Amino acid sequence: MSTTPAIDSSTVRFPLTGADYTPLPDDKKDGHVRAHAVQTVNADAMTLYNLWRNEMALPIWMEGVVSVTRTGDTTSHWVMQAPGTEKQFEFEGEVMEDIPGKKITSRVNNGPMEGTTDTVTFEPHLFGRGTVVTLVSDFVVPGGLLGNAAAAIGSRSPEQITIENVRHLKQLVESGQIPRVTSQPAGPRGVIGKWKEFILGETNPTPPGTSEAEQPEDLPRKNLVGGAK
Amino acid sequence: MKAVCWMGTGKVEVHNVDDPKILNPQDAIIKITRTAICGSDLHLYDGYIPSMESGDILGHEFMGIVEEVGSEVKKLKRGDRVVIPFTIACGNCFFCRKDLWSCCDNSNPNAHVAEAMYGYSGSALFGYSHIYGGYAGGQAQYVRVPFADVGPIKIENDLPDEKVLFLSDIFPTGYQAAVNANIEPGDTVAVWGAGPVGLFTIASAYMLGAGKVIAIDRFPERLALARDYCGATTIDYSDGKSVVEALRDLSFGAGPDSCIDAVGMEAHGTDVVATYDKMKQALMMETDRPTVLRQAIQSVRKGGTISIPGVYGGTLDKVNFGAAFGKGVIMKMGQTNMHSYLQPLLERVEKGEIDPSFLISHRIGIEQVPDMYKVWRDKKDNVTKIVIDPWVDTTAA
Repeated sequence: MSTTPAIDSSTVRFPLTGADYTPLPDDKKDGHVRAHAVQTVNADAMTLYNLWRNEMALPIWMEGVVSVTRTGDTTSHWVMQAPGTEKQFEFEGEVMEDIPGKKITSRVNNGPMEGTTDTVTFEPHLFGRGTVVTLVSDFVVPGGLLGNAAAAIGSRSPEQITIENVRHLKQLVESGQIPRVTSQPAGPRGVIGKWKEFILGETNPTPPGTSEAEQPEDLPRKNLVGGAK
Repeated sequence: MKAVCWMGTGKVEVHNVDDPKILNPQDAIIKITRTAICGSDLHLYDGYIPSMESGDILGHEFMGIVEEVGSEVKKLKRGDRVVIPFTIACGNCFFCRKDLWSCCDNSNPNAHVAEAMYGYSGSALFGYSHIYGGYAGGQAQYVRVPFADVGPIKIENDLPDEKVLFLSDIFPTGYQAAVNANIEPGDTVAVWGAGPVGLFTIASAYMLGAGKVIAIDRFPERLALARDYCGATTIDYSDGKSVVEALRDLSFGAGPDSCIDAVGMEAHGTDVVATYDKMKQALMMETDRPTVLRQAIQSVRKGGTISIPGVYGGTLDKVNFGAAFGKGVIMKMGQTNMHSYLQPLLERVEKGEIDPSFLISHRIGIEQVPDMYKVWRDKKDNVTKIVIDPWVDTTAA
């Protein structure tokens, strides 16, 4: 799998001004799913970069991440949970390119998602509305494109996970928490109600954010979020 | 606790459910002292708002006493008396900072569902389907309120609940409808729907300087409130005569300066196109019945403003957009930016400029709510507003 060309990270840049729009990669072929998400976040680039680079804290806001342990300056060991299942899988992650406050490119080096790459860039919004966060992911999907289609039914295709992860970062930094409705009271859901919950993606666990009740153990919760009010 | 649950189209039941818990550090738990049924709850009851799940707790107009607060809540403490705005806003995103509270970026956990339907997601609402966040509503004994330092307004006077409860939705919604109508002193303003929002719209239009307000409805008890309490000129459209023509006469030939649609997606009409809408909606070929919107576009004067507080959910057929274009009409609409209006409107109530309790017709306990949804939908029993005390025991009576 290592021969599969990853996205050329030098091309991943959101045109800020004076350029023709070039679509960011968004396609499915050769067992890869390429997806992207863009959000303007009301915070400075360094705050966002630091949060993204803090691997140990990723389970707080990234979907499906059970734990990340640092194993070297640029390497880490990841435990993830497959969307909609109890199944966990592990891999080694490596940061390939690291420009503080601007860009992080990382790669999955083994396991079922080997060859997956992520590139996130942080650029100041031209007109002072914060920082433009652009995430471009090239997923190697376990189970190939069929597995991808299965995950999409519960609203958690790789494309959706890409969008949700950038959204969670924005929510956490801007509002100090990730909004959640899981485990709130309700009357009997019945079969149809439960089916709708699944279809709308509500059975996917919301990352805990700053929620104390669902905090993973041994994680530094305080002072993670610099930009919150 | 006891809670009013949506169990399917036309089916509302009271169930014993778990008490709400603090889920996020900026949450508060409120013990509800008064809550109400809103006209927009009928769109849920009638099944026209998609993404309801059986078991959902209804209700977005409520107030009460703070029972418990999360670790990051600074402004509220246990025992505070609060009214909760029905839109949920974080207070710190681009939109909240622009006073577009109902467009908050960070309160809807199901934003992707709204994005699939609407392009982008508005703020979450209490008890108003899963597109709008799936938050449990307040027709219950307790409720969880997120961003407790941002939304709730403390009531530090001794005004009774009934005079401040409607700050939770219908008073600010009517007020924003009037603000959005660009009213100038001496303007003629037409308001479709003399339900709770319409009545507050009429009162607010006068507060903002309107010269004459015309109310359009078909229920005598509502027209009476509009005429006698709010000072509106009334049109009863049930006789089948043209509303557009009546408005032309009443605005002395020019058309009303502002037209306000306080009805929304389930409008009734007496003409052929209204019947066509009803059939198409029943066959699920159309989501909304835009009878009022069409009349408003046809009636409004050239360069006038149409303000739409009535809820629309999907796609509309046969909207006379050419007339809107031809007359250079301005349109403004949307969920209410509640947080902007709470303090100024509370002050108006405190000063005695308005007593919002004027429209209450029914005071009930929680066990009576399912029956009253039917009464409310069918406009029976001269109903104009139903207020619920979720703690009063009515089972013995």
